[in-house]
Amino acid sequence: MIFTRDFWQEIMIALHRNRLRTLLTGFAIAWGIFMLILLMSAGNGFMNGMLSNFESRSTNIYTLYGGSTSKPYHGHKKGRSIHFSDADIRLLSSGFPHVCNVTPELSASGQAVFGSQSRQTTLIGVTPIYKDMSWVKLLEGRFINENDVKRAEKVIVIDDALRKDLFRELETPIGQYLFVNDIAYKVIGVAKSFRQSGNRAFTAYTTLKRLTRQENYWKLSFSTEGLVTKAQNKDFEKLLLRQLGSLHDFAHDDDHAVWINSTAMDFMEVNRIFSSIKLFIWLIGIAMLVSGIVGVSNIMRITVKERTNEIGIRKALGAKSSSILSSIVMEALLITTLFGYIGMMAGIGISALANSMLGKYEVEGTNLFMNPSVDMRVVALATLVLIVSGITAGFFPARKAVKVKPIEAINYR
Amino acid sequence: MIRLKNINKTYFGAQPLHVLKGIDLEVNEGEMVSIMGASGSGKSTLLNILGILDSYDTGDYHLAGQLVKDLSENKAAEFRNRMIGFIFQSFNLIPFKTAMENVALPLYYQSMTRRKRNMLAMEYLERFGLKEWADHYPNELSGGQKQRVSVARALVTQPKIILADEPTGALDSKTSAEVMQILREVNDSGITMLIVTHEKGIAQRTKKIIRLCDGIIKSVEANDPNAIDLQSDIK
Repeated sequence: MIFTRDFWQEIMIALHRNRLRTLLTGFAIAWGIFMLILLMSAGNGFMNGMLSNFESRSTNIYTLYGGSTSKPYHGHKKGRSIHFSDADIRLLSSGFPHVCNVTPELSASGQAVFGSQSRQTTLIGVTPIYKDMSWVKLLEGRFINENDVKRAEKVIVIDDALRKDLFRELETPIGQYLFVNDIAYKVIGVAKSFRQSGNRAFTAYTTLKRLTRQENYWKLSFSTEGLVTKAQNKDFEKLLLRQLGSLHDFAHDDDHAVWINSTAMDFMEVNRIFSSIKLFIWLIGIAMLVSGIVGVSNIMRITVKERTNEIGIRKALGAKSSSILSSIVMEALLITTLFGYIGMMAGIGISALANSMLGKYEVEGTNLFMNPSVDMRVVALATLVLIVSGITAGFFPARKAVKVKPIEAINYR
Repeated sequence: MIRLKNINKTYFGAQPLHVLKGIDLEVNEGEMVSIMGASGSGKSTLLNILGILDSYDTGDYHLAGQLVKDLSENKAAEFRNRMIGFIFQSFNLIPFKTAMENVALPLYYQSMTRRKRNMLAMEYLERFGLKEWADHYPNELSGGQKQRVSVARALVTQPKIILADEPTGALDSKTSAEVMQILREVNDSGITMLIVTHEKGIAQRTKKIIRLCDGIIKSVEANDPNAIDLQSDIK
């Protein structure tokens, strides 16, 4: 019955007879789905952008900063500064099975001079792994390697901005000698500038340590393996703090003495935020859709009321309840899915347009927005939602129509 | 063809209304019966029960040998579709369907193919001189034409009985006479016919007149439709 041409023709005629009403009702549904898709694609774009910032450090990276103690311990007053040294590196490298690639970092600021040009810069002493852990993008040449660290070579990787300012006329700065605080470094690479935090240049930490006679590191980074869950990370942090506390003589629960940062924990936190945003978007979208569904249901009620007489005649002529029920449900379903798809296509179209025009929106090197799009799963889900809502919208008015007694319907005016 | 035994019907409103008080009635195949009565006499209720458009409280109703009682919605629909043709005072044509589509509609509910049912519908329209009007909508037809369309629609399923509720109530006397003539012809072809009317001129054109008063049958009398002058004023 449902799949005959006649059945659909009857429905099309019914829809056609109330063209304006059908269009207005359909618009509510189309708008609901359109907004749902748009919200979701914008949400996805925002999420993709944020998550892409984590992608390049897909491994879990811990960063430790020396702080100052917040409570007295073993006769030390509180407020004592904690500085990292080679002892910390040894502790981290040998004392924790999960830890690898321990990277110290120290820095010095100075005047970078090439020819007649000079610029203020921060020179950072690092290890080779720093490039991967701190998301350094190399534009030219190479980064600091093991050899540089071992021999404390006077080599330097400058950033984009320095290159532009100091090596304006040169095709490549690589191989040139750059003076920082009157010491000549050979330029081996150019890295992308990182945010608006001033000029940066990298050298081997051993080099900088020797030339500036620093004993301490202001920052230690390392990656971890096998720390997956939040609980594992928490336990690790506790253990880490206790061990460092023993080494530096501070209370093992003093979390002001050493600042511990972890990308995994950040990532988990961000993920948690995003799942709430996602839920929120779905709730708004569904709420908009529900108002559309209520609209369709309402219109179907009016339609059924208007057609009471006709339904009565049909029943007198032998129409079965199932035929009346299915025709009204199908009418609602047709409005919902047809206009739902129009809305969905419009939404997908707009987000695809936004994708191609915007693509990526960066603020200070951080992606805020990337690939706003909806995946096929969402489309499939939206389709399901549409069908369910269409049937729901049609069902109650249809049941009302079925309950109409033929004689009452015929006499209905 | 129709056998009613002690049919009772009460409408339960603000005040219960006992509309039919024990109706016993027998109509044989091929009869042409009119049911007369003042408004409120229960004649329309009776017709609705006969047409399985309404239910009755107690008693038995046999139609073509089958007991019609407590039928499911679907069974009732099927009975109406196969056995009964309706003609209404207000025609009850579907306004957005052409004459042909209206006539073909009962066949749609028999799941007949479009081609076949349109062919049959055209046949019946032709029989009542409406071939040229097949593609017209009801609001483009005169009252007489509309009623002829509804007669065609009632007949298209070849029902056992035709139930007509004030079939000329909305027509002028000339058209009324025409419609009655058509119903006569239909009856002559062997189809049982029941006409509810309050007009004497209509009743006189049937073969049996049943008078209903306050929910009971007051009289049943045979009538010779040929006895009256067919050109006489029908109303």
